[in-house]
Amino acid sequence: MKYIGKGIPGKNNQILTAGKGTFVGDITLPGMCHLAVVRSPYAHARIKSIDTSAAEQVPGVITTITGEEIVRNTKPIPTHSSALGEKKFQFYALAIGKARYVGEPVAAVVAEDRFTAKRGAELINVIYEDLPPVVDAEKALEAGSALVVDEWGDNILSSRIEVHGDPDARIKAAAGTVRGDVRTQRYTGCSIEPRGYIASYDRYRAKLTLWASTQSPHSLRLFLSETLGLRESQIQVIEPHVGGAFGLKLPTFPEEPLICYLAIKLERPVRWIEERTENLLAGGHAREMRLAFEAGYEKDGRVTALKVRLLADVGAPSALCGWGMANVAAFLIPAVYKIPDVKVERITVVTNKCPWNAYRAYGKEASMLMLERMMDMVAERTGLDRAEVRLRNFIQPNEFPYKQVSGASLDSGNYQRVLASALEAADWSGFPALQASAKKRGELIGIGLAYELTPEGGCIPKSSLLSAYDGTRVQVSPKGEVTIMTGVTSPGCGNETGIAQIVADELGVSPDIITVVQGDTDTCPFGLGNSSSRSVIFGGSAAKLAAGELRDKMSRVAARMLEVSPEDLELDGGKIVVKGAPSRSVSFADVASTIYRDAFTLAACDEEPGLDTTRYFRHGNFDAMNKQPDPEGRLNFYSTWPNGATIAVVRVDIETGMVTVLRLLSVHDAGVLINPMLVNANLHGAFAQSLGGALFENLVYDEAGQLQTASFMDYTMPTAVDLPNFETKHEETPSPFNPLGAKGAGESGISGPMAAVAGAIDDALRQAGLSVHVMEMPLTPNRVWKYIVAAKNAQRGNPQ
Amino acid sequence: MKTPVEVTVNKKKYKVEVDTRMILADMLREELRLTGTHIGCGTGNCGACTVVLNGETVKSCCIIAADANGQEITTIEGLSSSATELHPIQQAFVENQGLQCGYCTPGMVLSTLQLLKDNPNPTEDEIRHGISGNLCRCTGYQFIVQSIQDAAKRLSNGGQPGASQ
Amino acid sequence: MISEEFEFRAPTKLAEALSLLERYGDDAKILAGGMSLVPMMTLGLVRPKTVISFNHITDLNFVIDAKDVIRIGAMTRHDTVAHHDLIKKHLPLLATAAVGIGDVQVRHRGTIGGSLAHADPAADYPPVMLVAGAQFRIQSAKGDRMVKAAEFFTGLMQTAVGAGEVLSEIHVPKLPAGAGSAYLRLHRVEGSFPIVNAAAVIEKGFKSARVAIGGVGESAVMIDVTKHLSKGVSDQSLRAISDAAYDASGDAYGDLNGDTEYRRAMARVYAQRVIKAAAAQIR
Repeated sequence: MKYIGKGIPGKNNQILTAGKGTFVGDITLPGMCHLAVVRSPYAHARIKSIDTSAAEQVPGVITTITGEEIVRNTKPIPTHSSALGEKKFQFYALAIGKARYVGEPVAAVVAEDRFTAKRGAELINVIYEDLPPVVDAEKALEAGSALVVDEWGDNILSSRIEVHGDPDARIKAAAGTVRGDVRTQRYTGCSIEPRGYIASYDRYRAKLTLWASTQSPHSLRLFLSETLGLRESQIQVIEPHVGGAFGLKLPTFPEEPLICYLAIKLERPVRWIEERTENLLAGGHAREMRLAFEAGYEKDGRVTALKVRLLADVGAPSALCGWGMANVAAFLIPAVYKIPDVKVERITVVTNKCPWNAYRAYGKEASMLMLERMMDMVAERTGLDRAEVRLRNFIQPNEFPYKQVSGASLDSGNYQRVLASALEAADWSGFPALQASAKKRGELIGIGLAYELTPEGGCIPKSSLLSAYDGTRVQVSPKGEVTIMTGVTSPGCGNETGIAQIVADELGVSPDIITVVQGDTDTCPFGLGNSSSRSVIFGGSAAKLAAGELRDKMSRVAARMLEVSPEDLELDGGKIVVKGAPSRSVSFADVASTIYRDAFTLAACDEEPGLDTTRYFRHGNFDAMNKQPDPEGRLNFYSTWPNGATIAVVRVDIETGMVTVLRLLSVHDAGVLINPMLVNANLHGAFAQSLGGALFENLVYDEAGQLQTASFMDYTMPTAVDLPNFETKHEETPSPFNPLGAKGAGESGISGPMAAVAGAIDDALRQAGLSVHVMEMPLTPNRVWKYIVAAKNAQRGNPQ
Repeated sequence: MKTPVEVTVNKKKYKVEVDTRMILADMLREELRLTGTHIGCGTGNCGACTVVLNGETVKSCCIIAADANGQEITTIEGLSSSATELHPIQQAFVENQGLQCGYCTPGMVLSTLQLLKDNPNPTEDEIRHGISGNLCRCTGYQFIVQSIQDAAKRLSNGGQPGASQ
Repeated sequence: MISEEFEFRAPTKLAEALSLLERYGDDAKILAGGMSLVPMMTLGLVRPKTVISFNHITDLNFVIDAKDVIRIGAMTRHDTVAHHDLIKKHLPLLATAAVGIGDVQVRHRGTIGGSLAHADPAADYPPVMLVAGAQFRIQSAKGDRMVKAAEFFTGLMQTAVGAGEVLSEIHVPKLPAGAGSAYLRLHRVEGSFPIVNAAAVIEKGFKSARVAIGGVGESAVMIDVTKHLSKGVSDQSLRAISDAAYDASGDAYGDLNGDTEYRRAMARVYAQRVIKAAAAQIR
């Protein structure tokens, strides 16, 4: 019986469905007190003075703290990597000197209860000198703009121009050119559980314990150790159940060292549970990018040259890893297409808005949207079918592993097969007939197609957050129970179940007898937690290696017990069986028992006692092709390269601009699927967040840098009614660089639907004789209506 | 300011003194230690705090705890006696992967309880409307909808899994 | 989280509530369903010294057939309004409006009186109240008066309910026999407030026709479109109604869900759509 490839429900489903999960907010400790954070009401302001006396007089307030005390007693919070050429800044748990976004922590209060803490925080009197805010990335680049960081002299965090070939000359020589200005709006993940922490200090053991709604306990411990000046062994970070993360719970947030510092100072447990408004103001934003492109194409639809100017508004500088999304967006161009001459100019700008944190798709979505809009336009100009244009530009299946002009090392793929499968499943060629009959009914429907490349297993040099390895320990107990402890974590995405399936197959036992321990720095091997779909690829591969060693050892012992050779044995159904002679076997538990309890018998005496192995797995894509950096100085940021085709069908109400998604179909290649049910579950969630970004979600700032969407009353997310039933299919092109052949599926499904919906809207409006290329997200009724009005006006002004 | 509250929760009577600033979700979680009721937004939008009040689902973040005085409440903990003896709706969620992180799940399950009480045999569209007060960011709702379809079958079949679709 | 302390009162009789309202005046906030008030307190936007809950006053929760009108107690929950047989029979557009509010949980707790008194410019009920010619009973310890819908909504989140007063009942005339009516809303996602909404009532034989539109001004606007429909629904009459709707929405505001031009354009679209839908219901 093999478990890899089976759709097994998540191991935590029962306890969570019973309402008996343990999230941070569910934990209480004796003597626990509560933290409330004073946040800047201004986007950009000098902190003149802070008077904490009124707060301190409130009965129940235990202490107050300002930046002055933090600077005296902690070190700056380290950044996640120092190898990407960004400007430097000293980050602390509380703002020092200036506040740089509405919601930035400026001071804090600890009190006996939550209400008193919050009331106390309201009574802290901060005198600010309001400074002109920087809220627009283009304006931030203008000479004379206010500066987010005075010492930098400008508002550019980092910038880079990458040129391959001679795109200017190629564009001039091209048969035609297309241009566009794609904009993705600022939005975020909004896990339903906000952030939360409990810090507790044990004076006797000189040990700090932090329960954190985080994705990366070991990285967090490392950062805390440096900030607080403690040895790593003095800190235990525990990740209990996490109610969704999507990248936005990666360290280090200011509240993390803040609460730890206070717990140590007070020698009392301190809890902080974020309110939703705080989450929207300060919990990390993403996505706000503008990609202006110009591409040259030949009559046969081949795109020969591409120039892109990418401007990213990453908000205020921070120790979070979000700003790297702009680098990835630039790095990914031209993705699945063979465009020989490419220029990408990336400008990453800081503003007085909430800092970016990592968000699912990590910048890939922006360049995918740009590339797919470009392909749609080339199809329109050349009169070719939209699918055909893509086929003519794809990397060929026999070209993998493929080195892109950007330095990207694409491990495997068969884009032609994936696209063909999607076209067939969607009945692409039959759609015009449907469209015509809809038009007769008075309905405008359209179909759109997008190809996405969603590389996973991120790897950045000198990083404490992202690298292409992880560690897993597998133990078999004297009773034959199996425990997996791994450095990867699961904030609700299901890798614990997938890793149990991998180990179950190695050891020939049921996943039900396997316990998976994650998210505890004192128990699990060092690892980099959950992000970039890395958990199954690295944690799962390491688990396979570790379990394989135990399997070999148990086989050797069983072979002596059965008086056969180890090669004649197989592990299956909780037994170690002689191949071809199913009656001759010993139970898995008996072999384990022999190794522990009969270590000096003939069967076990040549083996080291114990069944306990830790292995680290490093991903082969870097060893095989690409030392970091390669001879041309380029980095490859990713291990595996999942990809997929998405087809969307929409209805557009031409009077209101309302878009309804009628159908969303995806054919996806994540390599070997460990658990297809959980892969589909992840894809569905990504589709929802993609359509959220395409149609509904938007973090809007006004000119003063005040967030207009600071609660769920104004931040609009799709409900079950607003989304269609999704259709998924899979093609499996294994990665050759890991023993599972898996490529990850945690971020896939964000890029495709957004771009497919955009194409489908254009297609629907074409039926009404309107030429529209929607470029600016989100495509709210108001915005689509404006596109329609503009197209109608253009038509009137230019009758043809 | 404290005020006395008497409530019946999951058929058990409680007498507590609460801060008037407490919302019902706080009281359930902090005073009664029933932490299955979650708080996601505090503004009545996400539905993670859904409980049954006098037989009807409500959002317990929009109810002042003191206002629940004298009322009868069912929380997720009232549906099953333990994590292994689940209500048929919960079992349907478990087996159909109607959850991922599990944070919205108690609210989803209680909205399902209400939906299937009002309409034992709902269409997909009716199911989607029935849970439109509960936001989920992990699942895209699809396996939740399938779980509810399965739950409807189980409930009409004495709690046992229905015939396969 | 609510940060400021307040006193909580939960009277069980209306008279008791009215005397509390008189005593506390502007320091008190009336808590009905709480679907708006409690979030606003959580966000710190409203900080009352005293909250007077009406949830324990059972005699404000009713739907009664009173000859020509349906009387609805202010504490009647949206869910009851949506599904009550009397309302479905005599005021189907009111039931439709109630069904679209929020979600199941919100409809179980939110009240018709609370929603009307909150007077959001894009709320679901006001256009219905205007076209149906509703009257509002406003009570205080000292008085008891009736106010017409057209005079009830006095501005942005403002009503005729004064300090010490409470909206206690809504009297909605039954639609005339054979009349057609409709209610429509345009919204971003299921359960969100409408961007614009519209209600219409057309008497049989087009003897009279009214349309009201929300989301295009400080409060919903009503237009008597009888003259445009004297010859029934035609492209020409719809164009005239569309123009009238555009003119009536000159005070449209802009927000995250729709700018002013969009709202005015949608006033045109929804006025036409709701008239067509109502005309189709004439029996």
